[in-house]
Amino acid sequence: MKAEDICEFVLKICKNEGASDSVVTVAEIEETMIRFSNNEITVANTLKDASAYIFAVDRERKAGIGVADLSKKTLLTSARRAVASARRAPPGNVYAPLPKGPFQYDQTALDQPKLEMGQRELVGWVESAIDAGLREGAQRMAGSLVARNSRVILRTTGDVIASARSSSIEISVRAFLSSLASGHSTAIAASERDFKPEEVGAEAGRFAKASANPMDGEPGKYEAVLGPLVFADLACQVGRSASAFNVDMGLSFLGGKIDQKIASDKFGLADDATLRGSYGAFPFDAEGMPTRRTAIIENGTLRSYLHNSSTAKKFGTESTANAGLMIPHPFNLVVEAGDKTLEDLIGSVDKGVYVTNDWYLRYQNYATGDFSVIPRDAMFFIKNGQVEKSIRELRISDNMLRILSNVSALTRERKWVKWWEVEVPTLSPSVLVDNINFTKSSM
Amino acid sequence: MIIDTASKNCAEYSEARYQSDTYESILLKNGTPEITTFDVRRGIAIRALVDGGLGFGATNILTKRDLKTLLSRVLRLAKASSRIVKTPISMGQAEIGRGTVEVKTRIAFDAVSTESRLDLLKEADSAGVESAEAIGVKLPGRYISLDTLVTEKLVMTSDGARVHSTIPKVTVDAFLTAFEPQKGTVQRMFSLGESSGWESVEKWNLPERIKKEARILANILTSANPMKGERLDVVLGPEVVGIISHESSGHPGEADRVLGREAAQAGETYLSRDSIGMKVGSDVVNVVEDPTIPRSFGYYLYDDEGVKARRRYLIKQGRINEFLHNRETAHVFGVSSNASSRSVAYNREPIVRMANTFVEPGDHKLEELLEGIENGIYVKNFMEWNIDDRRFNQKYVGLEAYRIEKGRLKGLLRNPIIEITTPGLWSAVDAVGRDIEFSAASCGKGDPMQGIPVWTGGPHIRLRNVAIGGIS
Repeated sequence: MKAEDICEFVLKICKNEGASDSVVTVAEIEETMIRFSNNEITVANTLKDASAYIFAVDRERKAGIGVADLSKKTLLTSARRAVASARRAPPGNVYAPLPKGPFQYDQTALDQPKLEMGQRELVGWVESAIDAGLREGAQRMAGSLVARNSRVILRTTGDVIASARSSSIEISVRAFLSSLASGHSTAIAASERDFKPEEVGAEAGRFAKASANPMDGEPGKYEAVLGPLVFADLACQVGRSASAFNVDMGLSFLGGKIDQKIASDKFGLADDATLRGSYGAFPFDAEGMPTRRTAIIENGTLRSYLHNSSTAKKFGTESTANAGLMIPHPFNLVVEAGDKTLEDLIGSVDKGVYVTNDWYLRYQNYATGDFSVIPRDAMFFIKNGQVEKSIRELRISDNMLRILSNVSALTRERKWVKWWEVEVPTLSPSVLVDNINFTKSSM
Repeated sequence: MIIDTASKNCAEYSEARYQSDTYESILLKNGTPEITTFDVRRGIAIRALVDGGLGFGATNILTKRDLKTLLSRVLRLAKASSRIVKTPISMGQAEIGRGTVEVKTRIAFDAVSTESRLDLLKEADSAGVESAEAIGVKLPGRYISLDTLVTEKLVMTSDGARVHSTIPKVTVDAFLTAFEPQKGTVQRMFSLGESSGWESVEKWNLPERIKKEARILANILTSANPMKGERLDVVLGPEVVGIISHESSGHPGEADRVLGREAAQAGETYLSRDSIGMKVGSDVVNVVEDPTIPRSFGYYLYDDEGVKARRRYLIKQGRINEFLHNRETAHVFGVSSNASSRSVAYNREPIVRMANTFVEPGDHKLEELLEGIENGIYVKNFMEWNIDDRRFNQKYVGLEAYRIEKGRLKGLLRNPIIEITTPGLWSAVDAVGRDIEFSAASCGKGDPMQGIPVWTGGPHIRLRNVAIGGIS
């Protein structure tokens, strides 16, 4: 059966079985990943999958079934099981009917051009990134390149019929001058036209070279310039914490703070799945609502959580079209740009630290935002407005809300970031933050 | 069919793996059920070596035509990759297995309805809330999730492995937030997990466990005292020893990290190819990695390359003893694979992973460890932790922690911080307990990310003269 027919067939079964609401999603994906290290390809991965997800509701009772075998027989059994499981499930405390369609979607976002993904071309992109880093002085290069074509077909009992074809390509590159001197850079794009792997390799190589002969940093409180990879990680934490589901569960430092000033005037963050041509753009959410731009933080004030229909009802508001059927999530985070250059930020620091990447962020308390994270790759000590030396072995041990409140300047130039450590595509500038606490291991 | 066709098309090595994972997941959020989810993920993975280049492919579309197309793409990718492979990849020698592994359950998951599962979580949740309220503390943000999983795998390789396994797993993850208006909040996360049937859940006695956790959390919130930074003797509980074993011995001992294969994602290691025999800890430190422990969360008897599993000593008497290898890294090091190749799903490449990592028990009772301390702290569990990507600088922040005075436990302490280097940590250990406990965890590694089930554990251990940080 074609994906559209699968959706129609399953939806009909769910209705016949007595579901008050149901959603059927079919996802088809083709993906190739090339991983490399020590300037060589270590493995080339290819994936082709098609799967369905059936979500059935019987008033406050909900069940979902993932289906890998898309035969008619399995789909029939799974649809019946989903409805029966929902009927037997104990009730949740909120029931919100699915959004009522049909909806109009951004036509340009529904059918993006397919990537060709020829092996030679993908390998060629990897070679160009490796060569660019080596030309900048790196000794060895590692990373991964992923090219993906996917199609999502969605039907709901809210009369939603939606289908979107999207493509994406991403590269993450780490360059080493030695085991203690390294640089990292990433790029993501929705089309080959916007994809520049050699620039990524070159930037990682330049950071690696600049970080040669690092000295141990000294713990203390410093002004810090956080590069786009670092600030994207923090912004991504804000995006995750803005999910109303996480707020409700205590996994957020934004709980109870709507319309409160929680950050510096200079900090703004939005989720915007409507940004044409960007990696994380997508025309509809998991309930079929047309996606939109939602301001999460404006001029330092928390404006909105991210909602699906259920969390919106619980919080007495409207969905922001960020469904996840269970957990609302950001699609495409955008940090508002500033008016400075990176040189302006570094030049304004008397004594501070420039951090280009970070890794392994963990919380002591999600509700207060107490956390630590480890600067990784190139890190520099700044003295009298100049980068003085390469440093390492420090950790940022601070509080998320304090850092947001201490944002003092941002660059005009921004970079899209998504990699192992930053799960949601995030457009981030470099950011100057006052008074960040850096700690260090003893012994 | 896949292996034969790959061999006919010049593959030096090929491997096919069918894997099916059948899940049932329930989540109770603040006492209310969320969506009950059933999921079957199943498909076939193929790996092939051509001219020293390695290709991996997977699909859940299991028609002959699609599998042939997949194989042909894997072979082409491997060939194309070999263009920029200077050192051809090869699969080293290993004890290749043929056989069947089946973990028998006493109570099958099918015998326990979703309603009964949710009733149990509700009982546990209520017990926690009542326990905290008895001390005047609310638990406003919390969840308990319960997942059952049955994994069936068939692994075949071109050099003769053929292993069929069926392994059930069950896991509970809990998160509690204790709140009191004058004191603020403290939070606790923990996980239980075993490779067995429902009998493990019965053994865990979740209502009692959550009740106890909630009571202790409420006590931490209301009565734990902040501490100043100072050098102290420290006793670490099994939960902390487990995470240390995993992060500060297991990860640095993964041979693919040593070779730089994970450099851009999970990172590298402070160890090098020459580090076998290197002194990193005191003589009493022995860290073990063992997939073969019955009921363990990381249990397997053959890895995903069909190699027979065995117990490995990562650190023996304070010295690096052995790395974790798959067949690819073993070939580079000129050793035999020690069966560390694991994949979390059909659509993920098998890579070097831990299974169950722990400090081997010694001969001290907990009371004996405490008796030897004039002024110190006991850190029973933790919340925040991280370690750099060379696995050299780590931070563990205690949650349930006590002052030790003259060998006796005194009041609760708030968030003692251990921020220390790996050799500094292992070298400070002077005594090891005789008890042992394990925690379940999902270990993240690889690209795409593979969160794989592991146990971390150990006995209580004692460290001397460690710099402890505090938050006042």
